[in-house]
Amino acid sequence: MNILEHTIVFMIAIPFLVASLMILTRPFPEIQKKLNVLVSIVLLILSVYLFSQVWQNGIIAYDIGDWGKYGIVLVADLLSASMVLLSSIITFLALLFSLDYIDDKSQNTTYHSLYNLLIAGLNGTFLTGDLFNLFVFFEILLIASCGLLIANEKVEITPSSHKMEAVYKYLILNIIATLFMLVAIASLYGTLGTLNMADMALRIGYMNENGTLPWHLIPTALLFIVVFGNKAAIFPLHFWLPDAHPTAPSPISAILSGILIKVGAYGFIRFYYLIFEGNLEIFQPIIIFLGLATIIIGSISAVGQDDIKKVLAYHSIGQIGYVFIGIGMGTVYALAAALIYLINHAISKSMLFLVSGCIVHKIGTRDMRKIGGLSSTEPFLGLMFLVGIMSISGLPPTSGFIAKFVLFDAGISGGFYIPILIAVIFSLFTLFSMFKSWQRIFWGEIKDNIFEKENIHQNSKTMLSSLVIMTVIIFVIGLYAEPLIAITLETAEQILDPQLYIDAIIPGEVR
Amino acid sequence: MTTLITQTIAKVVVPLCVFLSISLLLTGHDQPGGGFIGGVMFATAISLLYISFGLDDSKKFFNPDWSLYFGFGLLLATAAGIGSIIAGYNLLRTDYTYLQLPLFGEVELSSAIVFDIGVYLVVIGGLLFIFKKMGED
Repeated sequence: MNILEHTIVFMIAIPFLVASLMILTRPFPEIQKKLNVLVSIVLLILSVYLFSQVWQNGIIAYDIGDWGKYGIVLVADLLSASMVLLSSIITFLALLFSLDYIDDKSQNTTYHSLYNLLIAGLNGTFLTGDLFNLFVFFEILLIASCGLLIANEKVEITPSSHKMEAVYKYLILNIIATLFMLVAIASLYGTLGTLNMADMALRIGYMNENGTLPWHLIPTALLFIVVFGNKAAIFPLHFWLPDAHPTAPSPISAILSGILIKVGAYGFIRFYYLIFEGNLEIFQPIIIFLGLATIIIGSISAVGQDDIKKVLAYHSIGQIGYVFIGIGMGTVYALAAALIYLINHAISKSMLFLVSGCIVHKIGTRDMRKIGGLSSTEPFLGLMFLVGIMSISGLPPTSGFIAKFVLFDAGISGGFYIPILIAVIFSLFTLFSMFKSWQRIFWGEIKDNIFEKENIHQNSKTMLSSLVIMTVIIFVIGLYAEPLIAITLETAEQILDPQLYIDAIIPGEVR
Repeated sequence: MTTLITQTIAKVVVPLCVFLSISLLLTGHDQPGGGFIGGVMFATAISLLYISFGLDDSKKFFNPDWSLYFGFGLLLATAAGIGSIIAGYNLLRTDYTYLQLPLFGEVELSSAIVFDIGVYLVVIGGLLFIFKKMGED
């Protein structure tokens, strides 16, 4: 019996187990830290193994409790496995950063157990093949991230009252969205009699062939657009994000902005290209329009902010719009481009949030009006921030250039000239807002009042090492992008051929 | 609320509630009931104790750290899942057997009960931890 056959479920079970151990080991903070780092490394290795297995042997399906398609099924196709790999990388680096950044009191109480629950929620969301289970993991993600959002930094930068306000908005808006999701799932279940995503796709396909697809499935599909749009913070549903992401401690902002809003995009891909495959083409212009509106709103709002982390948060809204126009265009190349964009944004934006965390840790303020001339004392942070903004605004030789180039190329070859024109114009706003904040923080005259505070903290080596690892990833992707493009093209082909997914879960004889 | 009437009633009702919650827990895996419902019932019984005797007075004879119950419950539930991997099946695979006991006759013994006990502990730990903390504030 090979224990590695269970890798896919270990990605979820190990964080749960460790979360419970973290509650029991609360009196021993050093053990907690070491255990959490160890577990993150193990999960990273397991996710690499899982990805290599899926790459070599195709889609892996796993029945929890041996119930077959009637129970909960975990599925690792290339999309899930690469998202799990991405989230393992980001959560590992953010954890390294947070060891010295988060206040000891927060770390000793709940931080590490909630962190593991967050990892379990992320991996579960990406790996599950059951729609109701997806809902459950959304709830786990929501509750764990709410708990992490109010963790305190060592520098007292955000008052707890602001955090509570942001958490309240985040919680309420997301609970409303998950309520919508529950209604939509109930409606789908009432119509189709199954919650397995592959089985749903199969049955909707049969109904479509026979022309008996009930009309109310289309409004249900619209409800799902609302749900995933709210998770991803696309245009009319983005209001919770600019409050929640900046008030969170920086490593948590890195995870929220890097991975958590991508959960919406992931769910959208699953639902648009698997469950309702081919039935939602009428929505394609709407998705591209919403993506463009998101780009416009996010990019313009980012220009006028004075708070470092607010610039980054508004900018995240803009960037998720690019992912959505890629998903909306729907060719293999465009979908691959959307995935590359998603990966690039996850790494670059996490890195920028971590750099801003370093600045906050050192200076003790997020307000850019009070910061200036930091390049004389912190040249290394200036360099890291420059790499991050180069990548996020798409300058060569970083991964952002590859992402933007591929996305625009895919759009032009698909004939979407006007959306691409708008996207190009508004990527200039990105360039402007990012370089403006870089200039305001690192150039200009040195403000005297910034170093007078008593609680100045030095950035430790573990904090900086996670930045360096991210820089290496950015440059490796930027200079040698062929493997990534090949992987994402393969992934996109797999997404656009849902029959592969269905065959892997439901063999022909049991339909 | 700490009147003689509520205290007398609570002394009778709390043990009954606890027994009912345990019976709900034990039948839960194939009949109505289960770890969650049993846990909620246990939590209501203990909160009745807290309300009728007052939090400070009941702490004198009964003061467990509920967050540990939460941790142990989560550990037990996850370990029940992983245990079936060690036995060579998929996660959370359950099995059952029948046992002849002297007084009870034939009793069904199911491995799902371990998971249910974990859920039970998580629910009572979580609910009573919140209840007690809010009462202390």
